[in-house]
Parts: sequence; C-alpha cells; structure tokens
Amino acid sequence: MLGRVEKKYGVVVVGGGPAGMGAALGARDCGEEKVLILDREPEAGGILLQCIHSGFGMHYFREELTGPEYAERFLQKVIDHDIDVLPGSYVSGVAVDSGGSKKVRIMSESHGLITVETKSVVLAMGCRERTRGAVRIPGTRPSGILTAGLAQKFVNLKGYLPGKRIAILGSGDIGLIMARRLTLEGCRVEGVFELMPYSNGLTRNVVQCLEDFDIPLHLSTTVAYVHGRDRIEKITVAPVNPDLKPDMSRAWDVPCDTLLISVGLIPENELTQNLGIGLDVVTGGPLVSSTLETSMPGMFACGNVLHVHDLVDYVTREAMLAGRFAGEWSKGVRRPKDNIRLVPGDNVRYCVPHTLSPEREHTIHLRCKAAMKPCKIRVGSLMEKKLRFVFPAEMIMFKIKPDLLDKFHGDTLRIDILPLEKGERVD
Amino acid sequence: MYDIAVIGGGVIGCAIAREMSRYRLGIVVVEKYEEVGFGTTKTNSGIIHAGHHSPPDTLKGKLVVRGNKLYDRLCKDLNFGFSRIGELVVARSESEIPELERLKKQGEAKGVPGLEIWDRERLRNAEPNLSNTLIAALHAPSAGVINPYELANALSENAVDNGVDLKVNCAVEKIVVEKGFLAVHTSTETIKARFVINCAGVYADKIAGMAGLSDFTIHPRKGEEYMLDKRLKGLVQRLIFPIPEKNTKGILIIPTFDGTIMVGPTAQDTTDRDDASTTYEGSEQVFGFVSKICPSITERDTITEFAGLRAVSNTNDFIIGPTRIKGFINAAGIQSPGLTCAPAIALYVRDILKSEGLVLEKKKNFKPHLPGPPRFASLNDEQQRRLVEKDRLFAKVVCRCELVTEAEIHSAVDHGARTLDGIKFRSRAGMGRCQGGFCAPRCMDILSKRLDKPFQEITKRGGDSWVVKKMMDS
Amino acid sequence: MIEIKKYICIGCPVGCPLQLEHEKDRIREVTGNECNRGAKYARQEFTDPRRSISTTVQISGALRQRLPVKVSGAIHKDQILEAARKIHELKVMAPVEIGQVLFKDFLGEKGIDVVACRSMKRIAEAMTACRTKKHRRSKAGKPE
Repeated sequence: MLGRVEKKYGVVVVGGGPAGMGAALGARDCGEEKVLILDREPEAGGILLQCIHSGFGMHYFREELTGPEYAERFLQKVIDHDIDVLPGSYVSGVAVDSGGSKKVRIMSESHGLITVETKSVVLAMGCRERTRGAVRIPGTRPSGILTAGLAQKFVNLKGYLPGKRIAILGSGDIGLIMARRLTLEGCRVEGVFELMPYSNGLTRNVVQCLEDFDIPLHLSTTVAYVHGRDRIEKITVAPVNPDLKPDMSRAWDVPCDTLLISVGLIPENELTQNLGIGLDVVTGGPLVSSTLETSMPGMFACGNVLHVHDLVDYVTREAMLAGRFAGEWSKGVRRPKDNIRLVPGDNVRYCVPHTLSPEREHTIHLRCKAAMKPCKIRVGSLMEKKLRFVFPAEMIMFKIKPDLLDKFHGDTLRIDILPLEKGERVD
Repeated sequence: MYDIAVIGGGVIGCAIAREMSRYRLGIVVVEKYEEVGFGTTKTNSGIIHAGHHSPPDTLKGKLVVRGNKLYDRLCKDLNFGFSRIGELVVARSESEIPELERLKKQGEAKGVPGLEIWDRERLRNAEPNLSNTLIAALHAPSAGVINPYELANALSENAVDNGVDLKVNCAVEKIVVEKGFLAVHTSTETIKARFVINCAGVYADKIAGMAGLSDFTIHPRKGEEYMLDKRLKGLVQRLIFPIPEKNTKGILIIPTFDGTIMVGPTAQDTTDRDDASTTYEGSEQVFGFVSKICPSITERDTITEFAGLRAVSNTNDFIIGPTRIKGFINAAGIQSPGLTCAPAIALYVRDILKSEGLVLEKKKNFKPHLPGPPRFASLNDEQQRRLVEKDRLFAKVVCRCELVTEAEIHSAVDHGARTLDGIKFRSRAGMGRCQGGFCAPRCMDILSKRLDKPFQEITKRGGDSWVVKKMMDS
Repeated sequence: MIEIKKYICIGCPVGCPLQLEHEKDRIREVTGNECNRGAKYARQEFTDPRRSISTTVQISGALRQRLPVKVSGAIHKDQILEAARKIHELKVMAPVEIGQVLFKDFLGEKGIDVVACRSMKRIAEAMTACRTKKHRRSKAGKPE
C-alpha cells in the first residue's frame, strides 16, 4: 500500500525504480508477504518517469512502451501485490545485529526518523551521471552546464528548458535523446561532441535523434574550453590526438547558451560503501554471488546499482531474480555457497555475477573492452559461443547450464572474448 | 547620511563592518554581486595561517599572527566551522632544511606558537600517506582551516543583526568628494557617507581611481584549485606546504574544514579581473606537483575545479590606511594571508578611523553571537531525532551526496541565501560528487517559493546566471 | 537515371552502411548490409520513413506540471516537428488515465491520436497552496 510502513518486513528494497519494483515483485513471487519499497522521490518509478521516449519493454512486455508507461505497469503490479511503498524516504543507514536481522534507518517527511526491521535487503539505488568535474573541462564556471539527465528532468518533469542553443558533450544515449527532445521543443542543437572515434549510443538513436534533424556528430572531438562569466556563451571544441588530448591548432568555437554532459553513468553505492560491502572497481557496483547477494549476508543488489545496463527489460529480469533470492533468504532458505569464481580474461571488461554455483543455470552479463567482429566467447574449457560482433556499449549475455559446471573441477573460471580462428565461422 | 560606507562585501569588508557595528554608527556595505563573498572570498583556500611565512617587516607579516589568534574568539561568537589542524612545510632534500630552520626562526620571532622541526620518522608516523622521499618538515600546530564563504556570511549576517545595512546587486560607478562627506554613486542609488572604506578586492585600484587616487595598482594573480572526492577524506590530516617559492606559498594539499581534500592553488598573473577560468596547464602543474608529495592523489578524483584571483598590489603588501582624500580609507591589496588577517585588519581599520576623527561609542546592545547553521549530517542519532521532532523537514533529504535536509535549505534562505550558490555555501547542498545534479531542481523549487519568484528567475549566482527558460507552450 | 541513397542500418549495433540504388521511385538494389534486416530497413526508409513521437503537455491540478504523451502510431518523418508543435496546443486537466485519448486523429490521419502515457490523479489545490506559504524568519539580504 502506498505510504504504509510497518515495523517488520521480510524484504526491504532500497529504491523504487524498475530495479526496486522488480525486486519487490520477485520477493512476492517466491511467497514473501512482507515487502517494503523505499524511494526518495515523491512517487516511485525512478528515472523511467522522465524518460518519456519509447523503446522500453520490447523484451518484457513484447511491445514498445515509453518510460512512464513501463513504470506505471510495474507500479500497478506492485500495488496489486500488496507491497508497501514509502515515497519521499531516504535510507540513512542499515545496522545488522548478530542474528543477521537488519535495522533500516529511514528518514521520511511523513514518518520522521523511523527504523524498520527486516531479514533481507535489496539494494536498488540505480546510478548517477558523471559530471563536468569528473571529465575535467578547463575554462570558466558559468551556469548552463549540466548533465543530460538533469536537463531531461527539467524538460520532461518540470516543463522548463535548460537553454535555447545547445551543445552536447558525449554521445551517450541520454544525450542523443535530449538532442531530439530539445529540437522538438524549439531549441537549436549545435552538435554532439564525442571524445572516442565511435558513438557511445545506440545506432538507432544516432539516426533518429541526430540525423533526422541534421544535428552534426563530431567524433574524436572534445570540448576543450568553456567561455562565459555568468552564463555559458560559447565553447571551444577541438579534435583529439590519439592520446585523447585536444589538438588546439585545429580548434574552433561553437556559440551556445547550454552545454549538456552525457559522458557515462556511475552506480550509486554510497550506502553500500558505508556498510563495508565489497565493490568491483570496474563496475563500481558490489561484488555479488550467483544469487546476487553482496558480501554482506542477506543483502542483495540488482539493476544499475550493480552494473549499468543497456535496457530496462534486462534490469527487470535481474531484479526479479534478486528479489526471489532475497525472499528465499527471508524465509530461511540457505543455498550452498558458490564455489566457482569468474575471472574476466582477454577483452572482457567485467562479468556479473562474480561467482557461480554448479547447482543451477546462470545468466552471465559481461562487457567487452574493444569492439570485435566476428568473435567467440570462451568460458574456461567448458564452452565456446560464437558471436557476429561485440561492442563495449552493448552488454553481452549468455547462459551456462548446470551440467557443464558439474564437469568443472577448478575454482576459477576465466572468460575470454577471442577472434575466430582460421576456418571458424559464425552460424 | 552614513558614518561609514564599506565598498565590497568580501570577507574583509564584512569583517570591518561587523567590527564597527559594535559602535553607535550608521554603516552600509555595498556589494556588486547578488550575495556577499561571491568575489575573491568564495575561491579562497580557507587557510588560517600560523604566521611564519610572511616577513616581519611587512604589514601582512605584522597582522598575521594576531589575526590567527583572533579566530578562536571569532569562531566562538559566530559559530562557523574552524579547526586548528596544523600545518607542515615539507622538505624534499637536505638543501631545503636550512629554509625550514629559517622559517622556524622567523615564526618564533613573530610569536608563532609551537613550531617544531620533525624528522623523517615523525613525519611518516603523523602523515603516513605522504611520499617517503620527504625527509623533514616544519610543524605549525596553530594553523587551521575554515570555509571562507561561511565566514563572510556569518560576519555579514551578524553585522546586519547589529544594524548594518547591506546593499547587494549594487555596483559602485562614481565617487564624488563633497564638503564633509563622500557621495558614492551606485547602480541603484547614491549613498552619502563620512567615511568610505575601499575593500573592493581586485577592483580596489579602480574604486580608488573613482575618488581621484592613483597611488597604487592591483595586479590579479589567478589561483586554480581542484576539489577531490570524499573517498580521499583523511588521506592527510594537516595542511601540507612545500618550501615556498618567490611569489607564492606553492601548491598545497588542503584538508578542508569538511574533510574533503583540495589541491592547489597555482599562481598565474592575469590582466582580466574576472578571469576565473581553469586550464589544462593549471591542472597539470597542480597534479604533477602534488603527486610527488602525496602519490595517491590523482587527477581522476577531481569532483570540481575552480579559480580565484588574489588582489596583489604593486607593493606586494597590504595597502591599508587613510589617503589624501579626507574620509577615503583603503583596505586594499589584501592577498594571502588576508583571510587570516581579516579580524586583525578590522581592528587596524577601527584604529585608523578613530585617529581620523570618528567618535567610537560602544553600543550597549551589541549582539556578538550568531547561532551557526544546523548541520544535520554531523549530529548523532539522539540530536537528529530531537531536530526531526521539532521540524519534520529535517527528515526530508534534499542533497543526498552531503545529506542536507530541507530544513537546512530553509535555514540557508532564512540567513540570506538568494541563489543556488548561496544555498550551496550555507548548507553544502550541491557540493558533493553529483555537483547538484540531484538537488538543484529541489533547491530551485524552495527558492522559488520562499522568494516568491518564478522558477525560471532563480539563478546560480545572480546576474545573468539563469538556470532554465520557460517552455514554448507555457 | 540511377541514383544512390545512403543509410545507416539501426537493426543492431554493427550499423551497416547501406546503399540503396534507385531509379526515381523504383528500388534496384540494396548493398552494404550484413543481414536481411539491413535491406528491409533501407527499403522502408526509402519508401515511407516513419517515426514514433512522444512529448509532454501542460497539465493542471496534478502533482506535476507536465503530462507525458505519445502519438499512438508512427508518423511520417517529415511531420515530426509539425506534430510536436500541434501537440503543444493541448492543455489538460487532471485526473488523466494512462492510455486516455487526448486528441483524436490529430494530424487528420485516422487512428493517429495523442495518448496519455501515465495516469495523474487530481490533487486538491489547497494542498499545493499550503506548501507554498510557510512563513519563516527572514532577515539578512532580504529582497524588496
């Protein structure tokens, strides 16, 4: 029920975006009756509420939905399943007692400072955007420099424009989507400037958000200087050398009143870190077992707080799984500890989960370091899977069957992405 | 007619106004920006120097030790954050040790307490994260840190509490010497005052010029600073100084009052009095240097960077005193250690005013005390509960990076915040790693309601620093 | 005369550079595609390029000031800007239900409607009013 909080729960979910809602539903699915979702915004739904474009739900609902539609379908399920939701709340800490029960400290305008007790917790806080500070652009510090996501919030939720003449640094999907969005609102988008020689966004977004509106995409180019005292007036952009440093001899100026930054996302793990939970330095998310349990027993993680996903549908699937295991835990089910460690090998940036157990099937998520086509994924000596292509911006997923793992006797399993050998072909 | 018009609401102007508000005088502070401390003050490093660096034969050298001592009282009165964390001047080679000894001697002669030279082992024990190539250090326990904008806000608020008028968005355009008073023409009104105190920072020579004085010049010297992620909190405990160079005290490692680490500043002469830009060269210089002193600091941990201008005078010293224009008093050329000297400068100016014929009669009802802002995040559970019981808005989080509650944002507005930067400097909302990405719209909502201004009229720091525009259909 | 149109396939991240050879309206050949999706995409783009569109409209009486909406079917690429402008003429009052048709056949094309993408409850106006007027102490630097 919306706004209801009781003293004891089986599962408390931190974050009410797609991951949080999915986890809560997963916990209910496995029979846990007492589930609470905590969300800091005035209403649950997460970033989906400001992603008004379509492209969500193709995998989960088999139809193309906008963000708010996807969120509302899930929120309805959450209400229908009698899950408690407390919006406008903030988790300031979690204390674990010797018996493993957890006391979640909540700050809420409607309830004040309260503590609820729970057996398991699912971390589903999502991620935040990298800022100007994190990418280091020299120049002045006027207003008008903001992340693409903040601009999206201003436009789609609050009904204000971040400016009228826009430049965009970084070709992440949010930046591309905002280029189109602002064009539709009558703004002039001067260009998108991407440091790398390739776009970080989906091709579909490059075509439909930029090309459709003749917005130039400048690859291997960066913003080298910001001008303007009170408000940004122009930027100096420059092509970059192979070391990614700008070549100022080829620089030019772009007048603008707004610079959007779309240069990547970082899992939001302050709470996780405060609890002393182990993090993966590459993903920025917690280290998790095959039940998506963190290094703290009974504490699970899913969605973008674990690693940044490409599609909300994948978040939902992962979250429902985490919720199911959290629900199991709260009901006293203890699975055998994982005994196989996954190790990223050649051209593998990271893989999640970090450990496996031979008892059941696993879905492995991984990202490559560099694009390669065609290629194959090799999992130790257990299996090989050929792929037409891999791209850093696209998450790779595959399943490992328990019978394969049963044959495995080591304790570390290395995953490599390798070029095809002579004579090998993708089917 | 005012007795005193202070031109410039930086930390110096505010300190003088607050000091003079003890007396039965009509005082006005004229500030060209939207809020006080928005000029040189907000980009100051926040160091309260022990005093051994500046030569004893300079005015700055004379005022610094006294200024440092005055901070205990000032902090007790005004409840801003101040911590004597101590300072280390580190030596990288044997050849630098005589310089440590010279600084020690110079400091002792000026009355700097507790100066000690530490050997390598003692340094390693106290600061284990510094490079093991450092061989000795001069320790000055009385050095400390504050947030300079917090001090400017506290001083101006206390001055206003004691009857001082504060005029913001009020730029001085012309000064006319009249019979027995000076007429200060500003962008909004003309202010008449018997005494004008020129605390205009990098513009002080221009202001003096308006009164017909041309006996000094200001040469802005830019300093770039880089704020690092909270992750590095506690990496160093004390202010770390290299052996000073000719123009500056060098590039420092500064554990700010809030514990986050800042590195810088650079020292670059500039002709542009509004130049607050950072550069590739600046960051290379800062990180290239700092990584030699503390290897775990890298550029990657930067969450924000900024630059400020030091108001360096042609004499390379403070220029404080009366002028040939009766009633026009300079407090100019206040470069480092100007923040440390601020309370001593206020007393120094008071004495000048007295000798210039201003009658000082103490107010009976002077209120020296200012309650500090509430800091929810720094309280224990019990204290937090008490606050929430009193005001539910203490349970509503606005800035998640720094855990700032809505009640604290309201308090910032109560205490004079008019812009997003004003809220940030008073409450820390927006200072964390997401740099306002989450809290900016919320702070704008609150400002819009509290100031009864449309959302699109809220600015980052006044002037033309608008944040959003209206949409086509609204 | 044979002409060539170039596209980038959006079917997958490979983004094949497609070349479509045509003689006036008649397509002769699509090349550059690594799979069938590419050919299909180029043909669609050449004959009838369509896009879906979503935006927001003003809403009053709700917790938020903007209601997300979408056009129920894909519209011709060249109509996007006009459509966005036209949708902005809409002003909506809460309550609104998800899927509610707000503007039927709005471009004159049958079955192409403007539809609400979420539900928004009506909130009592008194509630918004009491939030704005919270009188507090105000002093230093008080505006006129």
